[in-house]
Amino acid sequence: MKLVRDVLDKQLIDRENCEMGRVSGLIMHVGEKSQPRITHIVIGGETLWMRIHPMLGRISKRLARWWGPKRDGPVRIPWSRVETVGRDIKLDVRARETGAIDWEIWIARHIIEHIPGGGEKGEEEE
Amino acid sequence: MSKALQIALGIITSIGGFLEIGSVVTAAQAGAAFGYQLLWAILLGVLCLIFLVEMSGRLAAVSKHTIVDAMRERFGFPFFSIVLLGIVLVAFLVLVAELGGIGLSLQILTGIGFPWWAIPVSFGVWALMWKGTFSLIENGASLLGLFTIAFVVAAVKLHPDGASTAHGLLPTFPGEDKAKYGFTAVSILGASISPYLMYFYSSGAIEDEWDESYIPINRFIATFGMSFGGLLSMAVLVAAALALQPKGIDVDKFEQAALLMTTALPKWGFYLFGIAMLFACLGAALEISLAIAYFFAQGLGWNWSENLQPSKDARFSFVYTIIIFLAAIPLVMGVDPIKVTLMGMALTAATLPLAIVPFLFLMNDPIYLGEHRNGWISNSVVAIVILISFVLAVVSIPLQVLGS
Repeated sequence: MKLVRDVLDKQLIDRENCEMGRVSGLIMHVGEKSQPRITHIVIGGETLWMRIHPMLGRISKRLARWWGPKRDGPVRIPWSRVETVGRDIKLDVRARETGAIDWEIWIARHIIEHIPGGGEKGEEEE
Repeated sequence: MSKALQIALGIITSIGGFLEIGSVVTAAQAGAAFGYQLLWAILLGVLCLIFLVEMSGRLAAVSKHTIVDAMRERFGFPFFSIVLLGIVLVAFLVLVAELGGIGLSLQILTGIGFPWWAIPVSFGVWALMWKGTFSLIENGASLLGLFTIAFVVAAVKLHPDGASTAHGLLPTFPGEDKAKYGFTAVSILGASISPYLMYFYSSGAIEDEWDESYIPINRFIATFGMSFGGLLSMAVLVAAALALQPKGIDVDKFEQAALLMTTALPKWGFYLFGIAMLFACLGAALEISLAIAYFFAQGLGWNWSENLQPSKDARFSFVYTIIIFLAAIPLVMGVDPIKVTLMGMALTAATLPLAIVPFLFLMNDPIYLGEHRNGWISNSVVAIVILISFVLAVVSIPLQVLGS
């Protein structure tokens, strides 16, 4: 598997087939004696913008503090949760429990559900 | 649904959805100022569009990826963000033009000025997106768009000369007004080769769950749908050449474009023009709004489908909601939709390499298309037309801006 070609920027799907973003970055463990290995998949605007320029990453982090769902740092998903890498990357997680779709839920709750026809309140709780 | 019916429906929706304010205004301007001389630009643009639309459908059917999806995956976020910025800015300008086109059509039909229509029109377009399904938007709007066949009726009733029309299909150099000629040619190419159409089409193929068995259907729809659509653009140009050029009328205002219909159909041509343009611009506004929302959602990996309830793809619905209402602002302030249209079309042509070059790389990538990847003919046709459009745009846009 070629990490940049086959993993980075790929669509992530949870166990309920919910689209939970794309791979923004990867965390690698480089031990002195052991072989380097991928430990986590990272999802989040900060990591994404950092790939263009570190300053953009910092701006994205600051903006996220002012507005939207609150969380510390980007979402990290252990590599052990990766089920398959194919057209998409299928993860053995529930998207809403990882924080990857916090923005989706926040926008639904704070904006979309307040507009008539947007969807029923509390439907996301299921 | 049988395959024959799918092909027929695909072709009909392509015809009904082909014309929009950009293609009508640019073709009308070309006919009014240069007679049949710029027919070649429509021919070239439509030829390129046939190849691009076929490729968009083939990519979706074989790889199950939309163009945006594959672009983000293959080229990574840094490059994707540049394409996103360029394409969305230009598509936004085109959306302003289409909403303005609906407003101008309503102005013709009711006498109430277009700025007054900006908010109700945006609200109407948004409400259709909010409540409608993908097939309602694709089929409903396009079926209403069939009113644009009235342009063919107008052109035929004006009895165009076959030999001069055929002569216009070959590129010629203008005697005078070279800058305007170049700018109009670029605007026509930009209006014909609209990247948003490709994003909409490939997303539609995924929404309709196409697989490899759809490759022949896709080829039929792309070839015949876009060819017949292109004939509508040519009909506008021919009608303008016959109705407007002899009287020395330049198309700077929407009402002047309506005259190409009233000469052929004096009694109700004006209203027919208004209704045809209303539906044509409505269909285009819906498609562009969806294409912009698709671009964000697919590129960033969000849930997306026009068939879902808005709370199920909240970020996708939020994007089109914001975009549609932002697009109303310049119109409320009275910005001339015709000027926005012309600039939007020329900028579309100028940014075509940004949209098309990475797409061509994808279409030649065995990872995505395997044995179905592009052959040399499709690669060459698209590359040459994009190069011509880009060079013409780079040369003529500054000349036009300086000139005006």
